[in-house]
Amino acid sequence: MRAVFVAVFLMVILAVANSQNEGYRQDPGWRAPTEAAARPNPLAKRPDAAAGGAKLFKRNCVECHGENGTGLANKHSANLRLDVVQKQSDGTLFWKITNGNTDRGMPSFSRLPELQRWQLVLYLRNLNSADIPSKAKAK
Amino acid sequence: MCAQESPYFVTYDHHLEEPGNLELETYTTSGIPRAGQSAYVAPYMEIEYGVTARWTTELYLEGQGTIGDSAVFTGWRLENRFRILKREHFINPVLYFEYERTSEATRIQKEIVGGGPDVTSPNADLQPSKNHELEGKLILSSTLHEWNIAGNFIAEKNLSQAEGFEFGYAFGVARSLATLASAAQCRFCRENFLVGMELYGGLGSTVDGFSVHNTAHYAAPVASWQVSENGSLHFSSSFALTHEGSPVLLRFGYSYEFRGFSSRIAQLFGGKH
Repeated sequence: MRAVFVAVFLMVILAVANSQNEGYRQDPGWRAPTEAAARPNPLAKRPDAAAGGAKLFKRNCVECHGENGTGLANKHSANLRLDVVQKQSDGTLFWKITNGNTDRGMPSFSRLPELQRWQLVLYLRNLNSADIPSKAKAK
Repeated sequence: MCAQESPYFVTYDHHLEEPGNLELETYTTSGIPRAGQSAYVAPYMEIEYGVTARWTTELYLEGQGTIGDSAVFTGWRLENRFRILKREHFINPVLYFEYERTSEATRIQKEIVGGGPDVTSPNADLQPSKNHELEGKLILSSTLHEWNIAGNFIAEKNLSQAEGFEFGYAFGVARSLATLASAAQCRFCRENFLVGMELYGGLGSTVDGFSVHNTAHYAAPVASWQVSENGSLHFSSSFALTHEGSPVLLRFGYSYEFRGFSSRIAQLFGGKH
């Protein structure tokens, strides 16, 4: 009985492991409400907070979006440096981090305190910046 | 999610395992005895896997050792949690279903239902009695500013004995010690610590009556410390609010997350990577 149970458990894991999404595309239905999109980043005048955002990025985002935020092919995750991401408002990025997109595998990060999610937004804005302090970059 | 692991031992919030990640957790529940009871340690291991962003499955293996008595393997449990809503709401419901194959000697007390576990009878009397049980929970959880607030409503049905339905509850509040993450790479940064409080207990049964009397209830400060990128330590002391069960439960645990577990398994079998 136990051997059968363990075998079924492993089969479920293997099945899921081999059935991931084949191609990432931006989900047109994943849109922040207007009110949420308009929210300003309360840390916008605290650029020093981006370094903390880098640490949070390394802990929470690198696994899917890669060390430099360009996305990972096997995860079909977004390249966060692209204009299609960078042109979104701070409020939109905050909303997406908070809510996730569970149908596409992006979990909600509402477990992080609100200001830490804003720190992540701040760091995302610096991904394309050449003058970001080296220690603020996710390694 | 690797960071900010929930500090709760009994209460569930609405945050599930990140899809494709596997988390190994080892915990112990130690009971400080009343007069006439014996101290015990009930270790258990959890293997938690994020099937999707809205479905987490978990296998428990548990045991128990009582001073002056014996050490026994008390059984296993398989649980599944399903997040109902796609987006964050003020209240986020999660459905929980569990099948248990445990003996009456189980003392891990992942939840308290009915009157609570028997902590006075010897293992020789309790261990032969093996139960098939089904358990359901309605998990309601909210993020309010920097706080998580969660409530669980529990119903359990023993399929092996005529105990009717047994009920229980768990409530928890928790928050990070820091709202902003510091720039430093550090073990003792405040953002690596979560603290909170749990309140949990039994609510009787359909046989004995739906009641808080003659049931075990505990109040428990909880804390977790993220000691590495993938590992967290968890601590709790539960203090009994009634004369049922053990007067104090000491809980300790360590969890380690294997990120991208499913991708690594896929690579082993020649899948894309």
